Formats: sequence, structure tokens, C-alpha cells
Amino acid sequence: MAADAFFRSRLPRLTLTPGHGCLLLGLVVTALVVAHLEATLGLAQGLMALWRLPDATAAGLVLHAAWWPRLAMSLLAGGGLALAGVLMQQVLRNPLAAPTTLGVASGANLALMAASLMAPGLLALGREWVALAGGGLAMGLVFLLAWRRGLSPVVVVLGGLVVNLYLGALGMVLLLFHQEALKGLLIWGAGSLAQNGWHDAAFLAPRLALGAMLAAWLLRPLSLLELDEAGARSLGVSLKHLRLAGLGLAVFITGCIVSVVGIIGFIGLAAPNIVRLAGARRLGPRLVWSTLLGALLLAVTDLLLQRVSGFLPTMIPTGAITAALGAPLLLWLIPRLRLGGNAPPREARTIGHRHPAPRRLVMLLSAALIALACIALLSGQGADGWQWASIGNGDLLQWRLPRLLAAASCGLMLAIAGTLIQRLTANPMASPEVLGISGGSAIALIGAIFLLPAPDNLTLVAIGTAGALASLAILVAINRKSGFQPERLLLTGVAITALFDAVKSVVLAGGDPRGQQVIAWLSGSTYYVDLGSALIVAGASLLLTLAAAPFTRWLDILPLGGATASALGIGVHRSRLVLLLLIALLTATATLVVGPLSFIGLLAPHMARLMGFTRARAHLAGAALTGALLMVLADWLGRQLMFPQEIPAGLVASLLGGAYFMWGLGRR
Amino acid sequence: MLHRRLLAGLIGPLALLCATAAVAAPARVATLDWTLAETLVALGHPPVATAQVDAYRAWVRKPALPDSIIDLGLRTQPNLELLASIDPDRILISPMFANLAPRLERIAPVDSLALFSAGHDTWSEMRTLTRSVASLIERPQAATRLIDNTETHLETLKQRLGGDTRPLLIIQLMDARHVRVFGDNGLYQAVLERLGLTNAWSGNTNAWGFSLVPLETLIGIDAQLVVIKPYPAGVREALTDSSLWQALVDRHGAPLVLEPVWSFGALPSARRFADLLVTAMENTDGR
Repeated sequence: MAADAFFRSRLPRLTLTPGHGCLLLGLVVTALVVAHLEATLGLAQGLMALWRLPDATAAGLVLHAAWWPRLAMSLLAGGGLALAGVLMQQVLRNPLAAPTTLGVASGANLALMAASLMAPGLLALGREWVALAGGGLAMGLVFLLAWRRGLSPVVVVLGGLVVNLYLGALGMVLLLFHQEALKGLLIWGAGSLAQNGWHDAAFLAPRLALGAMLAAWLLRPLSLLELDEAGARSLGVSLKHLRLAGLGLAVFITGCIVSVVGIIGFIGLAAPNIVRLAGARRLGPRLVWSTLLGALLLAVTDLLLQRVSGFLPTMIPTGAITAALGAPLLLWLIPRLRLGGNAPPREARTIGHRHPAPRRLVMLLSAALIALACIALLSGQGADGWQWASIGNGDLLQWRLPRLLAAASCGLMLAIAGTLIQRLTANPMASPEVLGISGGSAIALIGAIFLLPAPDNLTLVAIGTAGALASLAILVAINRKSGFQPERLLLTGVAITALFDAVKSVVLAGGDPRGQQVIAWLSGSTYYVDLGSALIVAGASLLLTLAAAPFTRWLDILPLGGATASALGIGVHRSRLVLLLLIALLTATATLVVGPLSFIGLLAPHMARLMGFTRARAHLAGAALTGALLMVLADWLGRQLMFPQEIPAGLVASLLGGAYFMWGLGRR
Repeated sequence: MLHRRLLAGLIGPLALLCATAAVAAPARVATLDWTLAETLVALGHPPVATAQVDAYRAWVRKPALPDSIIDLGLRTQPNLELLASIDPDRILISPMFANLAPRLERIAPVDSLALFSAGHDTWSEMRTLTRSVASLIERPQAATRLIDNTETHLETLKQRLGGDTRPLLIIQLMDARHVRVFGDNGLYQAVLERLGLTNAWSGNTNAWGFSLVPLETLIGIDAQLVVIKPYPAGVREALTDSSLWQALVDRHGAPLVLEPVWSFGALPSARRFADLLVTAMENTDGR
């Protein structure tokens, strides 16, 4: 069975059947419900509160208008998300697909933000419609990107990832400039299940029922997807349309849920995988059991959270808890998944030709970089509008020079890290952010900002580095056995990034004014660099670049696949580990300065390849120059566009880079 | 924009003139923090520059900043080039911006002033803050005046209120399901104590004197609801659909709705809040 083929055959089957699992969780839910009712109004009165107001007491009112609707909502949302998860995993034939991976959640989030700032009247019509429209558009964008490639699973997931990052960056810009006005949306974004009546449950229930009916109707054709593609095609099924229908349905369900309770990850990923591990193989049983299990999982999580929430100084949204639980589950799943193995990956060598004289191109890029640096250094706006500074104007240059240096060095480091990882994984869509190293250092830094009274920059740098090294350790520990297989490595990174998202949303939802500082750092600005640290960063970048130079032979050979490389006398394990360490160092250093958001590591190697740099050495040089150029441009633009307010360079870069990437993905 | 730049261009030379002419020139102060900005304005010595001027006008409102004030950009990332070109004599910050201090020091001496530290009485902290700010701009008597005025005014308000002892629950709506409820260690708490009113919220609060809670938490608390505006977009409409909110209103009576007040402010915001609150309470009584 293809469904089973996701897992290695030696995987010990759980002794629990899906039915037993659901029964067990059901008993837990019942026990929690009974305990809560006994503690408030007593069982009989409490049950009555489900239908009508039992009496005039406050407890009765809370039960009727908040507690029961919340339980209903957690069951509905959990079930719906799990159903959507099964559909997506089936369609994409990827056990790690989940309702949030298609960009629906971030699209809905961005639409709500934009609406509350620019057209609040739309929100009065109904938040859910705004969210649905945004989610739908984001999904449309993903489909558009993947359409030319026949909605191939890998491209859909990657397109979703990029759209997620891109919309997230746009949202971050809005948040940076309008934190006070958008603070309510941060709570929604973190996924709170709190209810204030039956209104939302009544909105969601019929839509989910419709979704479930459509899923039942699609059951038979979707089962055919378990055959390989050729088999399914020979049975006369239009794969494109079938996938579109399956994904569309999953997105509709997700969109409805997201619009009401915000972003609740993990359930859509966990429930279907647990059910499959528990031995449900055919699509029908998997749909039914996953839906049940998802509903119960979310209900248990939420009921337990409600029991402890009284002891916490701030509200922890349920969605953030589920996301935090999801990361370890992902890490646990990764070694148990059957992925591509050591097959030589399809290299996207087709894009770009080989430039006849790469050396001349390098000179040209260097000249462009110097010219741009001069412009960035000498022109800018002041209290009296645009002005040109003279080269001897130390008063101005003392502010601009460190930022220029830092931007250029970070661009350079990210570009080299990106080139290394793209060549190492033979995956043109890999980028250093995906490894989760930036995520790890971001978690540590958020912790530092919140737990230390007034941290100075040196402390922050030390703590950020520690975080980066910790996620590197996780990366190595999990991937050592598989010999640092490219796909698995990227998935580990995805898991760490998921954990980072959970931490971020808890922090932002609490509404602490220090959140502004976190947002400012997360969006990646050269703002906090002074001359001393800029020189250190520049020195580090040159040093690490030189360190990468001896590996160019490996980089030309490793993309040919593990077997070829071994045959050519390269210690695959050792070389991968060394390169990995180098990538980690480069990424961590750059992240500390420009934050975890940036597409430079993705963009620069791509552009360099398009320009005709094909051999590893030339590719590295070209990418490094392009990265520095892009980052300097982004930094300068960010300081001028909304003067005196500054858009962080990382955000400008990711907006430029994301647009380019989507254009490239759609074009090919 | 042009008009503001013109003014800035005029003020620069003028300030220079003053510096040479007057014996004790007034210090040109820049601040990143709205709480310090409002204190400076209330002391009769507005800052020459502060951050996010537009947002200050939307969220703090009063005391109003002068039109000539220069906007430094984001509070967390003020434009340093611009700040350097303004060349202030002093820069005031709160501990939240401590990481910027080394670079601000290169422009002008930096003073960090704290408010709402845990375990301190908020009102006396506000007094201390006012006095420190005033001594930095060498106007100690202005601080005494501001403190006395505010305290006398609050005392008058307290007398006007008489024996109304119903506890109050001060909230700000975040969306249709969540509120910030203000309690210990916050501005509103300090004002309520001064006015002899009781805060109905005795639960946990964070370092900033509020707690984020779902709406249902408020049901069991018998109190007069006080809602600090603004309502987030679409929330007022959503509340009419909410059976929980309607039940809250049925049980506690219509909430008192106050114009926006800066929840993390100092004496000027405290006085503004007290005025708004007492006026609203009196209007309800008269109805």
C-alpha cells in the first residue's frame, strides 16, 4: 500500500488500534467534562446548560455562553483540521503536508490585518469572509505557482512554504508600523478557542458538514491516488483536476476554521499520522478515525489548558500549545519516514547557461557593488529632505558605514550559505532559513529579551549564538544516522521553525510592550550594528568565505548523489558534516544581525546561476557578490522609502526575494 | 510635512541664538518614550523630537505635542541620523530601550527613567519620575506644581464622587472574545486608589499592570464595567452578536465607555483618565 510505504517496514506497529485510541481519548474528555460540571453547577444542571440558561448565576451563564461553545468549537475545529490534513496528505502523497502548509493561514491573517487598517468596514460585514478571501487568494497563488508542473506534490509544498514566508513578511511590515492597532489580531493569529456565544459554532458546523459530505463523495477517486501516477492515469483519472478538487476542499475546510479560531497547527498533521501508525491503511477508515481523533485531541488539549490557565499571568492560546507539541512530534516522525533515499536528485541544471567569461562577470558585479555602496553611503534624507554628503562628513558616515558593512557582509554570508546548501542538497529551493538555525537562535533571543531586565547587545549576541548551536546539535543528532540525507535535513529544519513560530505567537499574543522590540529584531534590521560589531561581522564573513573555498571540488561532485560521490573517493558523511557546520556558522552570524527572515540565501545563488555561473567556485563568487549587492540595496531602500521610519533590510530583502522566487517558480 | 520641516529649519537657528543669548538656555530634549514625552509637555517643556508622533496623537492624545515636534520614526528604531542632525542636549529613554543607549550616548547624554517597576507603589513612582524629569530640564518647581495640581485635582474629583463605592472593572477590548483587564501595578490602579475607588480585578497582572483574559472570566465578577476605547475594527458590531457580552451588560449594567487614554502613561495620563472616568460616572448617575 502506498499509504504504508511512507513508513519503513521495520517500524514497530503500535499495539493500539485507532478505535481503542479514540475510545481512550473519549473517556479522558468525558472525565474532564464531568469533573468540570461537578465543580461548577453539578452534573444535571451543567448538562442542561448545553441547551439553555440553567439559572441566573454567573457560573450557569459561563457554562452556557462560553464553556460549552468552546468545547463544541474545539471538537469541530480539531475534527475539521484532521479531515483537511488527511485530504492533503493523500493528494500530495506527503505525510508531512498539513492544512497550514498551503499558505491559507498566513493569507487569512494578512487579509485581516490589511482590512483592519485600510477597510474596517469589511470586518463589520464578517471577519470570516475577509479571512476566507485572503486564505483563498494565498492558496490560488500556490496553485498558480505549481500549475505548470501539474501540481506536483513537492512544488505545491515548496510553493506553500514560500507563500507562507512571503505573506508572513508582509504581515510583519504592517505589524511593525501598526502594533497598537493590530494587537487583537495577534491573539487570533495564535489560535485562541475562547468563545462568547454559540454564534461561531453555528457558523462552522454546517460548513464542516458540507465539507465532510464532499470528502465522502471524493473518497473513491482519491483512493486511486495511492497507486503510482502512471497507474492512476491509465485508469482515466485526470490527476490535475482530482488533486485540485481534493486540495480545494481541504483549503475550504481549513479556511472556515482559521477564520473563526485562528491558526491551530499540529492537529492536521498529528491526527492522520497517528491513525496511520495505529494501522488504518485505507483512505475511508483513515478519514473517519483521523477526524474523530483530531476532534478529541484538540478537546483534551484545550480542556487541560483551561484547567491550568488560572495559574498563569497571561493567556496562552491553544493554537500556540498545539504548535509547540507539534515540533517534537515532527522530529520523532522524521527518522521513521520513508523518503527519497539516496537516489540522485533531479538537478535543476537546466536553468541558465554557462557564461563564456565568468571572470569578467565577477568584475562587473564588483564594480556595481562599489557604485551602489557609494550611493548608499553618500545619499539619503535628513530633516531638510534629500541631501548628498561629502566623503569627509564623519558625522553622517559614522551612522551609515556600519550599516553598509553589516548589510554587505550578511548578504555575502547568506549567499554563500545558500549556495552551499543548494549544492549540498542538490535542491535549488533550499535555503539556510529552512535548516532552522535562524529559528533556533531567534527562540533564544526572544527568551533573552523577555527574561533579562535590560540585556545589552553583547549578551544578546552570545545568547543568539548559543541558540543557533543548540539547533545545530539537534540537527546533527537526528540526522547522523541517515548520513545527513538532504530531504531529512530540510524536514528537521521545518520542525525547528515550527517550534519557533509557537514561541513567537505566545510572546506576541500576550501584548507585552516588549513585543515591539521582538518584532523589530525579527524583521531583520542592520539598525543595531555599531562600527565595532560591523567590523567583526565583516571580518567573520571574509574568514568564512575563505574557509568555503577549499570545498569547491566537493561542491561540484556532491550534487551528483551519494553513490557517485563515494565512487569518486569523497567521504560523503564527513564532507556533509563539515559543510553543514560551515553553513550553520554563516547562517547564525548573519541571523544575529539581520534576523531570521530573508530570502537572500535562496535568491542570490539562483540569480548567480541564471547569470551563468555554473562551476562551484564561480557560483560561490557570483552568489556572494549578488547577495552583498542585494542586501546593500535593501538596506538603503528600507531607510529611504518611509523616512524617517525605517523598514528593516531583512524585510525589504524578503519582499524583493520572495517576489523574484515566485516569478521564477511560476515561469518554469 | 513641508511646513514641519520649515519650522524645524527655523527652530534650529533660533535655538542657537537662545543658547548664545540666554544665561541658562532651556535644554533641548529628545525622547523615545511617549510617557516621558507627555510628562515633558505637562511640565511646560515639550521635547524637540519624539518617536511615532502620529501614533502618539492616536493613542495618547493629550497633552498634545507641539506642531513643531520632529518625528524620529519607530520607537524601537528611531532614526539616528535624524536625531544626530537635530543635536539635542539630552535624550530621555525608558529601560525598554536600554540596548540603544550606547549609540544614543554618542549623540547626547542619555537618562533612563523607569516606571511600573514590580513591587513599587505606582503613584510614588510617578512622582519620582516627574521630579527626575523636571530636575533634568532644571525646572524642579514645575514638577512640584504638576504633582500638587494633579493630586489636588484628583482629591476634588474624589470629593465629587461621594460615596459611590461600586467596584470597577477596567478593560480594553482586544477582539470580540478577549480583553485586557487592568489591575495591580498599573496606571489605572494607582488612579483608582487615589479616588478611593475599588478595582474589582484582583487576579494576576503582568509587568505592565494588565492581564489578557477571555471575556467569560469577567462574568463572575460583580462590578461596573469601564471600557477604554478604541474598539478594534469590527468589534463593536461583533459584540452585539455575542450572547456573552449581552449577558455581561445585562448583569453589570451598561459599561462606561471612555475615550482613549495611554494605559502606560504617567501623571498627565492619570489625570486625563480620572477626569474621563469621573465625568462618565456622574453622567450615569444623572440618567
